[in-house]
Amino acid sequence: MTPLQALIKLPQHRWRTTVDGSTMPSQQYSSVRRLATRIRLNATRMVAIQGFGYLGQALSSAEIFATLFGGGVLRFGHDRFVLSPGHYVIALYAVAAELGLLDPAELASYGRDGARLEAIGSERTPLVDLVCGSLGQGLSAAIGFALASQLAGEQRDTFVFLSDGEMEEGQVWEAAMFASHQRRRMGRLLAIIDANNSQVDGPVSSVTTLEPLADKWRAFGWQVLEVDGHDVVALDQALKRRGEGAPLALIARTSCLGRLRCLPGTLDAHFLKLDEPLRAALERELTRELEGADA
Amino acid sequence: MREPPYDTVLKPYGEALTALARTRPEIVCLGADLTRQTETDLFRDAIPERFFNAGMAEANMVGIAAGLARAGHVVFVNTFGVFCTRRCFDQIAMAVAYPRLNVRLVGFMPGLSSPGGPSHQAIEDVALMRSLPNMMVLEPADAIEIRQAVAALAGHVGPVYMRLKRGESPLIFEQSHRLQLDRAQRLIGRDESDVCLIAAGMMLPAALAAARTLEREGLTVAVINVPVIKPLDAGTILDAARATRVIISAENHSIIGGLGSAVAEVLAGAGLGVPLHRVGIADVFAESGSREYLFSRYGLDTQAIVRTAWEALARPEPVPRALG
Repeated sequence: MTPLQALIKLPQHRWRTTVDGSTMPSQQYSSVRRLATRIRLNATRMVAIQGFGYLGQALSSAEIFATLFGGGVLRFGHDRFVLSPGHYVIALYAVAAELGLLDPAELASYGRDGARLEAIGSERTPLVDLVCGSLGQGLSAAIGFALASQLAGEQRDTFVFLSDGEMEEGQVWEAAMFASHQRRRMGRLLAIIDANNSQVDGPVSSVTTLEPLADKWRAFGWQVLEVDGHDVVALDQALKRRGEGAPLALIARTSCLGRLRCLPGTLDAHFLKLDEPLRAALERELTRELEGADA
Repeated sequence: MREPPYDTVLKPYGEALTALARTRPEIVCLGADLTRQTETDLFRDAIPERFFNAGMAEANMVGIAAGLARAGHVVFVNTFGVFCTRRCFDQIAMAVAYPRLNVRLVGFMPGLSSPGGPSHQAIEDVALMRSLPNMMVLEPADAIEIRQAVAALAGHVGPVYMRLKRGESPLIFEQSHRLQLDRAQRLIGRDESDVCLIAAGMMLPAALAAARTLEREGLTVAVINVPVIKPLDAGTILDAARATRVIISAENHSIIGGLGSAVAEVLAGAGLGVPLHRVGIADVFAESGSREYLFSRYGLDTQAIVRTAWEALARPEPVPRALG
């Protein structure tokens, strides 16, 4: 049994409930929470080798990747997955190593000369249908996948992971319009937006005004869900939803600092520099979190 | 070859693509609002379930084509050449060329065949597409070649850019003509020549007329048609180059980065010192105007080829007047 199957077939005798009343079996909750922490820990160790990298992206998206890949939502090898912002690929490597899809030893090669685990995803990236590098292009390709599935009469879901910063690219909105125009073909398209408010020059909100993000997607004809992107129960519920005769956008509100106590809010989270004291503090906090989850 | 004035036909591309798609369910057709202008109204009306209009959003259209191609489709993407290449270069590079997908980008209204001025005149599309790894670049010269190119592309693996004249297509070749994706064709001249004309697309009729003009003056002329600009058939170019005094390339495109540049690269790589003169748009943006006006003003007509050859050969007599 793969770890993925193990997670799907959990006994459902205890439930975890959030404030909005949604629930999740408590054992599954623990597994997915633990997976999110493992993603953060793996990413910390990958970035620590060179001392810098796209750690903030893994910290903000850990729960999204944990829920999508480890929560039985994405049917691996059946559904399509497009990762639009290629620098998030660190989170993909980190989760894949936990699920037996990637040799954990290979994580140490992240970003190194000649390694297939490049810091910005590419055609060499294993496991997923597509990783883009140039921002703003993933949604269009995902629409192409969704159209192909629809033409073939397949019951496949297409998941596309986007970040809020790349919504500054006009192509995202061209794609949003097209998907909505083709809405009856797009009921199995789910766009997951990591709204971590981070880009190279600082907070996205300091560079341009994306908000009101949910209203924008609604105005473009999409159905929209908005959740706390660090809440695995809320994510799990949202990721199982599909648009009714329309594509669905899931806006996950997150932080590039992953709500970790040891990371000061003043850090440049887009491209984190990880000195030794910070690395040690992260390792300590995440390890403690894992021990707490195991207890 | 037929003799001028050439008969013309309408929509050879649209007809060939639609006929092919009827037997090939993997073919999908995308457009960006210019459906009739790109001859794909035929496809839309015949096979509506595989036709998608992306609207005026070329970047997204290329991305969708990439997704469809990754899922196994052969995707024909149709719009004007400027919007097909200049407007969405990064998308073509990253989403199509790099992963070597079966996307056929078809750009209509090449060079100064558009009356619409610089915004609508694709003068560097060949240069852009030629520079991309994995990308094949085609410029068929007549309706016979267009039909054969469409058929040939169905079996080709990898991305292709094809630039096509909009509207009436001449019939220059006989039905027996064969376009091959790895060959240029020596149409005139078997052995030694005074001048070798190398042309593509809309410039082929001008090159043939220039050849007749120069032959009337007693010169021996070779003419090479280059429907496949990349990968260029270096063997045919070099064979002709070794047996001529001067080479003239003729393209409805900037002289930088297109056919002339491709020929120069081959000649230089082989160490041939034969002079090469490039007839084309001389590194300028043009203007609005009729095709006849623009081709004359920017040096793309038969007379320009004749003059270039005459001066390259340093003939003392006045430049002969071009035959039609």
